[in-house]
Amino acid sequence: MTRAIRYAQARALQGHRAGFASRVVADLVDLGVAWLLGLSALLAAGVVRYLLTGPPLRLPVVPNRLGVVGGAGIAVAYLALCWAATGRSAGKQLAGLRVVDRAGRRLTLWRSFTRAVLYVLFPAGLLWVLASRRNASVQDLVVGTAVVYDWAYHPADEALPTGDGRSPGPARSSKHA
Amino acid sequence: MVAQDSERALVPVASELAGPRPVPDGGVDVARLLVGAAFGLAVEAQRRSLDAAGAVVGRLGWPLGVLARPAGAVARGSVAVARHHLDLDRWAARGLAQQRRAQEMAVGAVRALIAALVVAVLDQVDLDQVVARVDLDRMLDRVDPNQIAARIDLDAIARRIDLEAIVGRVDLDAVVARIDLPRLTEEVIDEVDLGEIIRESSSTMASETVDALRVQGMRVDGLVSRLVDRVLLRQGQRQLGPLPEELGS
Repeated sequence: MTRAIRYAQARALQGHRAGFASRVVADLVDLGVAWLLGLSALLAAGVVRYLLTGPPLRLPVVPNRLGVVGGAGIAVAYLALCWAATGRSAGKQLAGLRVVDRAGRRLTLWRSFTRAVLYVLFPAGLLWVLASRRNASVQDLVVGTAVVYDWAYHPADEALPTGDGRSPGPARSSKHA
Repeated sequence: MVAQDSERALVPVASELAGPRPVPDGGVDVARLLVGAAFGLAVEAQRRSLDAAGAVVGRLGWPLGVLARPAGAVARGSVAVARHHLDLDRWAARGLAQQRRAQEMAVGAVRALIAALVVAVLDQVDLDQVVARVDLDRMLDRVDPNQIAARIDLDAIARRIDLEAIVGRVDLDAVVARIDLPRLTEEVIDEVDLGEIIRESSSTMASETVDALRVQGMRVDGLVSRLVDRVLLRQGQRQLGPLPEELGS
């Protein structure tokens, strides 16, 4: 754990499923990151082409279909690798969230990849969080995952996100009722 | 050696005061005994005759004085005659000169004696032993530093110090000129590690900001959930966790 969690309410909610607002913020940030990654890939391609063919130095013009597929591939790769590695992408790091399976473990690469593909294909599935009693999106229901509040850093050999939420009381759960 | 000899000659040895030395065969040295007895007898006779004369003068002083006056006049007259005819002055001068020489010799002898005595005493005295017998601790115990300090008037001393004059004599410009301010500043900055302080404070600020953002996210999450539940006329609570314990349900 890198530092003490300062807010009592936040401490109480560690390990609980995150709500809609936090997840939207995290996904918007991730969208921005994916866009930046795509732009970086284009820049890199432009520089490579400049080195190979000479001036002018321009961003390559990509056909629409290729652009969509490439962008989606970058987003899927980014999300899948982040979720499988640490359970959190850049956006989820900012919002203090972590993607875990139903047992609270880190995702396998396969499950993480599937979830990423589903999110890229059908982002609107996130809206189900509003209606779900367990704050689950469509993708969560399909892949069997959850997104929890988890501010703390966990070393690679520590499987489960921990927090005061591990020993809850009914009063604490009622906050989200 | 001279000192020892003179000492030896003038100071009687203990054995010499103890009477005539016995002859080895147990008898007495008759010659020394007789000489000693005669000397002692003479000394005693002189002392008694002086005592007797003193007593006679004490009791018969005035009549004898009266009687002696004509005799004195006669004697003075005869002395004047003798002085004239017998050249008394020359004899007296010779006597006085001899007396002066004797006095000088006596003074020289006494001086030599004193010098010899002092040397002999110093030879006998072991100064180290004397010092060893001095109990310095006891002496120091009797000295009260507080009392000494109390008798020192520090205020008076301080009043006599002219601080203005001292400060006036200090050339502050020269002192400042001798200080290598740039190097000093560099050393201070090296010690302080400003970079670490800035990193720490900025990272603390950043983490505070992120924490605040996350807490706001949590509150909005709860707000949105309650709102939706109310719109859907949903009863009961959302089952939000914590996650591992939820597995069984």
